[in-house]
Amino acid sequence: MENPLLELRNITKEYLIGGGLGLGKKKSIIAVDNVSFSVSKEKPTILALVGESGSGKTTMSRIILGLLEPTSGEILYEGRDVRNWIKKDRKAYRRNVQVIFQDPYSIYNPFYRVDRVLFKAVKKFGLASSSKEAQNMIVESMRAMGLRPEDILGRYPHQLSGGERQRLMLVRILLIKPKLVIADEPVSMIDVSLRSIFLNNLKDLRSRLKMSTLYITHDLNIGHYISDEMMVMCHGRIVETGETTSVVKSPLHPYTQGLVNAIPIPNPRKRWKDTVDIEEVTFKELLTQRQRCIYTHRCPLVMPVCKEKIPVLIEVEPGRRAACFLHPEVLEATKSQ
Amino acid sequence: MEPILAVEDLRVYYNSIYGDVKSVDGVSFSVNPKEVFGIAGESGCGKSTLVEGILRLIIPPGYIKTGKIPYKSTDLLSLNNEELRRLRWRELSYIPQGSMNSLNPVLRVEEQMVDAITSHTDTPKEKAREMAIARLKEVGLPVEVARMYPHELSGGMKQRVVIATSILLKPSIVVADEPVTALDVVVQKGVLQSIANLRDNYGITIIFVAHDLAAHAEIVDRLAIMYAGEIAEIGSVYDIFEDPLHPYSKLLIAAIPSIEKDVVQGIPGLAPSPLNWPTGCRFHPRCPYAMSICSTEDPPLKETKKGRHVACHKYK
Amino acid sequence: MSQDIEKKTFLSRFRSEFSTVLRTSTVFRVGFVLLIIVFSLAIFEPALNDFRLGGHKSTEFGVYDKLLPFSIEHPFGTDHFGRDSLAIQITGLKFSLMIGLSAGGVATLIAVFMAVVAGFVGGKMDAVLNSVTNAVLVIPTLPILIAMAAYMRMNLLLISFTLAIFSWPWAARTIRAQILSLKEMGYVELAEMTGLNKFEIMFTEILPNLIPFIGVGFSYATIGAILAETGLRVIGLGPAEIPSLGMLLNWAMTFGVLAQGYYILVIGPAAFLILIFISFNLVNTGVEEVFNPRLKKITGI
Repeated sequence: MENPLLELRNITKEYLIGGGLGLGKKKSIIAVDNVSFSVSKEKPTILALVGESGSGKTTMSRIILGLLEPTSGEILYEGRDVRNWIKKDRKAYRRNVQVIFQDPYSIYNPFYRVDRVLFKAVKKFGLASSSKEAQNMIVESMRAMGLRPEDILGRYPHQLSGGERQRLMLVRILLIKPKLVIADEPVSMIDVSLRSIFLNNLKDLRSRLKMSTLYITHDLNIGHYISDEMMVMCHGRIVETGETTSVVKSPLHPYTQGLVNAIPIPNPRKRWKDTVDIEEVTFKELLTQRQRCIYTHRCPLVMPVCKEKIPVLIEVEPGRRAACFLHPEVLEATKSQ
Repeated sequence: MEPILAVEDLRVYYNSIYGDVKSVDGVSFSVNPKEVFGIAGESGCGKSTLVEGILRLIIPPGYIKTGKIPYKSTDLLSLNNEELRRLRWRELSYIPQGSMNSLNPVLRVEEQMVDAITSHTDTPKEKAREMAIARLKEVGLPVEVARMYPHELSGGMKQRVVIATSILLKPSIVVADEPVTALDVVVQKGVLQSIANLRDNYGITIIFVAHDLAAHAEIVDRLAIMYAGEIAEIGSVYDIFEDPLHPYSKLLIAAIPSIEKDVVQGIPGLAPSPLNWPTGCRFHPRCPYAMSICSTEDPPLKETKKGRHVACHKYK
Repeated sequence: MSQDIEKKTFLSRFRSEFSTVLRTSTVFRVGFVLLIIVFSLAIFEPALNDFRLGGHKSTEFGVYDKLLPFSIEHPFGTDHFGRDSLAIQITGLKFSLMIGLSAGGVATLIAVFMAVVAGFVGGKMDAVLNSVTNAVLVIPTLPILIAMAAYMRMNLLLISFTLAIFSWPWAARTIRAQILSLKEMGYVELAEMTGLNKFEIMFTEILPNLIPFIGVGFSYATIGAILAETGLRVIGLGPAEIPSLGMLLNWAMTFGVLAQGYYILVIGPAAFLILIFISFNLVNTGVEEVFNPRLKKITGI
């Protein structure tokens, strides 16, 4: 079996804060807690990484991009250790794994015209052999994404809308042709009416470039629309993975169920029937007592074992993994560790 | 039903070196008592400026060009500062955008709330404390929160504190501008339910401003859709979602991704700039149903059926 | 090809930014006009004085009778050395400005260098440089300058250099703070994701956005240096042959002109100093007025 496109093995990121000047104890915050997953090379996939704030999804994306060093664990890209690869040849890794950031306003240097972002990409990755060729490539790629070069090239960032700027990032991706793109909430800061154009463009790139995407979002509606597979994170751990429609329609983890129950449905006939309990004031325990399931403080189905052991994330149904003691397989696997 | 508040032809402009920026350009609607009235629209449509105008919070270079805001037996736009001060908090309360981040970090929650009461009324401190605790309970917060500092609270709890503070003096109307935008989805649900609760259990009228149409679908009774400084459509929440009349409403609803559907469509073109509104109907450059009249005449907001208003030449 | 467009239009972009500031800010307009006056006087001083004094230098002693009253020939009268007061004061303006600009220039260069190295390398180097900056900041410059001037033979170069050595920390701190904020910007991360190395990022992404701050830093360093030099001169230190405005004030006070009623010999140099300060400050304020809100909106800082 081939190496997966991307594989994370026991990745942990721990931050130590406080204890200044060597006095006093340092507090440990675990942003990413022993996370393992892989993206297959079989066919181009869009994998949604869903989580609320504090789930660790952004930290994990930065680790995959090489912008942050994990405290422990390995990342493998097509079998190659990424950390070593980046040290030796950062550009080669960047050629394969690219990013779309969240904020369409801060990703453009206000001093330059927007063209520069595209030309720099072409130049740095050696995508064209002359400026004329570069120019042609850029114009073609823009048209392929449904953007008019006449209206966009030569402008400064503040003269374009957020939607246009984000779509220009897709043009950049089309030029670089990476095999994997990490998209960090790319539409959360643009208007709803422009989001679908971007999302449809992204889907298009998947088939056109045979490119896989790790799409990070807190919005399950968008995650559901864009992705084939979904991974749910909570407080640094993955709690559930599987094919998107199944995860959303029949969640295997109470946390996922809670998220699905909380999605606002744009249909006034299908309003929420239940109410949400106020979150516990003392969830600070979560920071220190991690030898337990991370959802114990809010889970309506919590059992004694949940507070004593960390549930293992394993396959519970074909193609679906969950980390919850409600499933006997998880109890078995945890016990045998 | 007599409306509790109405807005008649409100125009809020900004003075700039390029001329008048017409952020709110002739908006009219009415709000019924004890309902949640939603104002939806994308960025730049003017909805925040609209509520700031209603609450007389516009500062130069912004100014109110024309309009009337009948409330009870007065016109809000004709009141002087002293009369407005008496009205604020006691009858009309405001939760501005991002207010959960403007809680005073050096005061305990209780102190801030008591301050708000004692500075607007002659209530003695002890009584004010009781009122504060009662309100916190009403929004579903545990009593311990009163003695805590804002930084010890999560985003959702802070927002609920803000809501509790806004209803301290039992106002008739609460205006909330994007109260749930920065919150996680589960927390968002809780806060939205708190807001709906204000209507259900305390009979408070709420004007709810948000760009997230799904949030509107969950709690509002009637909804106005704004586009380019004007109102495109007003109707009951059921009418708007099940039978949108204005092409913009139709496209906007089709653009919302949801786990209930698999197809999502965008709206072509770009939102216009208030420096340069298009001629005629402001939506015509992007409208799939545009006719020749649409580029020359701006359709007025007309009542087509009972309780439904549309500003579109398709409906005569 | 787009890069050519960038270079060619950098100048035109500067011109358009400049005219925006000129158009928007009255403060800037006034300051700019005053600045032009100041610089014109300084630049055309040799020609001007040559013309007025018929070949004599303004510093020459005894060309005229001492302490003459105002007249068309001598709008400010003459001083106790028999020199035309207006002429020597314009010369003073020139020297004060020169000292200020050179000290300010060197100080700014040092500041930019320190800030860039600290921001670029980061880590321990940054911590060390930061401590050095703070240490120099705290050193009381004036007493040291006084001591130096009292014991050493100072010339123009030495004065400028010494002033520069002590006035760079303020600008270095400001610029370093800006660099640290700019490093967090999305476009810096995107540049890293596009394979630019630290060097390229510092010089092509960060530095251009520092220009307004460097400009303002240079302005303040210049003013600071002029003030410091004037302070030194007024207490009688520094090379006597360089007639900076401070020196003129010193002479005036030494010869007790105020008691004798020759106020112009004090008011004149003071007025020219004030003119320099006002023009620089107004220009600074005007630029900050226009740039800061726009900067906040555009760069997001």
